[in-house]
Amino acid sequence: MDPILQVEDLTVAFRTEEGPITPIQGVNFAVGRGRTLGLVGESGSGKSVTTKALMRLLPGNARIDPQSQIRYRAKSGEWVDIHRLRDGARKLRQIRGGEIGMIFQEPMASFSPVYTVGNQMVESIRLHTSLNRREARALAIEMLAKVGLSNPGQRIDQYAHELSGGMRQRAMIALALSAGPALLIADEPTTALDVTIQAQVLDLMRDLQRDLGMSMIFITHDLGVIAQIAQDVAVMYLGTIVEKGPVREVLKAPQHPYTRGLLRAIPSLDRLTHRLSPVPGDIPGPSERPPGCPFHTRCTEAIAGVCDRLEPAETMLAPDRSARCHLLQTAGRATA
Amino acid sequence: MARFFVERFLGMLVTLFVVSIMVFIIMELPPGDYADRFAFRKFSGLGITVTEADIQAIRVELGLDRPAVERYFSWIGNIVLRGDFGMAYAFETPVTRVIGDKGWLTLGLLVVTLLITYVVAIPVGIYAAVRRGSAPDYALTVVSYLGLALPNFMLALVLLYFANRWFGASIGGLFSPGMQQAPWSPAKLWDLITHMWLPALVLAWSALAYQIQTVRATMLDELGKLSVVAARARGVPEGKLLVKYPARLAVNPVVSTIGFDVNRIFSELPIVAAVLGLTELGELLLRAYLDLDMNVAGAILLILTTIIVVMNFVSDLLLAWLDPRIKLGG
Ligand SMILES: Nc1ncnc2c1ncn2[C@@H]1O[C@H](COP(=O)(O)OP(=O)(O)O)[C@@H](O)[C@H]1O
Ligand code: SF4
Ligand SMILES: [Mg+2]
Repeated sequence: MDPILQVEDLTVAFRTEEGPITPIQGVNFAVGRGRTLGLVGESGSGKSVTTKALMRLLPGNARIDPQSQIRYRAKSGEWVDIHRLRDGARKLRQIRGGEIGMIFQEPMASFSPVYTVGNQMVESIRLHTSLNRREARALAIEMLAKVGLSNPGQRIDQYAHELSGGMRQRAMIALALSAGPALLIADEPTTALDVTIQAQVLDLMRDLQRDLGMSMIFITHDLGVIAQIAQDVAVMYLGTIVEKGPVREVLKAPQHPYTRGLLRAIPSLDRLTHRLSPVPGDIPGPSERPPGCPFHTRCTEAIAGVCDRLEPAETMLAPDRSARCHLLQTAGRATA
Repeated sequence: MARFFVERFLGMLVTLFVVSIMVFIIMELPPGDYADRFAFRKFSGLGITVTEADIQAIRVELGLDRPAVERYFSWIGNIVLRGDFGMAYAFETPVTRVIGDKGWLTLGLLVVTLLITYVVAIPVGIYAAVRRGSAPDYALTVVSYLGLALPNFMLALVLLYFANRWFGASIGGLFSPGMQQAPWSPAKLWDLITHMWLPALVLAWSALAYQIQTVRATMLDELGKLSVVAARARGVPEGKLLVKYPARLAVNPVVSTIGFDVNRIFSELPIVAAVLGLTELGELLLRAYLDLDMNVAGAILLILTTIIVVMNFVSDLLLAWLDPRIKLGG
């Protein structure tokens, strides 16, 4: 794999009123050039915090641990240590939007209510290219057409609240892509949309990713969506990646009990009604991360005396495939 | 925008009409009428006995025997068409002459007070929000609570005392003693400006404290919005980002309460004017009430309320300009 982004040992802590919490602990993953990595996990597992950390967009009460490494390979071919950049650094600003684009779950809230869609697109284009206002506007209209907005020349002067939900998310995609990023981070871009529109937006993103030769991190809590859009997948639970590998292999032969639970929760036509009860049990709060394997409070296969005490190490199953579970280690080593 | 403007403008005219009726009713409230007071004033102490018939004659002469509706329309008609507010009985001169340039001075004081309030409160509130939890933020919070707790006239007295000690001169009033009666000239204008800042600061005091807290709170709210994070994720430089996205919306509550501020300033004006020895409408209004000179009182009330209503209109327009969602809502 030719990586565009490498994340090593990412650990993020927050100061909160109830004391410090560490919702991201030792996360490792890489995104291959021209590939889509699906990041999947239940709500609260730390998907958004992880991707915000990549863009250094975390709020003031957050701290990225000093040993964390976020390395990005820019369009110029140069490796940039994002974790080392100063807060206001020019390089960081160039990366934000120009190298890495981001779209969010709430298209409405992502746009400012007091500026037109075009205003925000032109701003972004002009920050990252040398185009003048007129050229930038032409490019913006072109992008809006590319994401499937009818009447882009008119839509560009509308406000986000004047567009329908699906149109808004398409416009958000156009905005994020307008400055030509090489990597797109999409944080649950379809979750807030109607089911029929979800499918359309998903198709659109897959086509765009292929046509533009982009890399993508696609976040979702639905493993079913991953199969449709990603080539690689990382499954996250309570701030750790418990299993990762090529989508086809992970879906065919999931190695971690949590991945298996998520797979069972994928709605199919005959089991649509079961959708609301995915993996049994409650997710522990961020301040009550269980000792040992973080999943042991819900795991039906937990080994008593082991899983609740020892944190499982990452077991490499293939060069591009790994999982963190005591069941995967030899019995002798697991009980040692 | 044109439709919005016309709608709000018509709304303002309706409000002004209602307000003028209320002012007229207030003018009618004191016992007796203009003729009674006119006669009493004119003939008392002269040994002349005034009969009911004399008063009735004055009443007819001045048209006071006509029904209230008719009198209202002739009163407001004269004001709107000719700028004629009637006669001040106490001085036997037109009300306009009694008021003189006090109307303009009051308006000037109001504008300077509002400017001081907003020019200080908006940037300071934004700064406090961006530096939330820092030492300057806490200091500002303490100072603004002090500002809310300390009454205006106390501040006026304290400032007067120190101004007197440090500058050695009387700082009260809106003009230096020699300038009061002088005709308008650049020197007089400068004199006014050097006197204006003190009462304006005193009047701005509580609004300043209040608006700093408002701006800070809204700014904090706006800073946490996804649209701000999204703009940051597009690489918008932080300074430009703060002004363009959260700050623009953080001034909304300030703009929408311009009318309240005007109202409050006018309520506080008489007492501050009394302490600082200002000659403006508030002080004249107080005197007109005491004399039951209702033509003067009515004129002043009408001027003050008109300013409030017009400022509300201005605030509506500014708000619509700042936030396009408002126009859509009608
Ligand atoms: N600003 C914050 N302050 C404190 N804790 C936070 C903050 N943002 C996120 N968290 C914590 O981080 C955890 C992961 O959140 P998030 O990444 O949003 O989950 P996901 O996107 O997977 O649903 C949550 O449990 C939450 O408590
Ligand atoms: S380590 Fe134990 S508790 Fe954790 S997933 Fe594996 S079997 Fe379950
Ligand atoms: Mg999330």
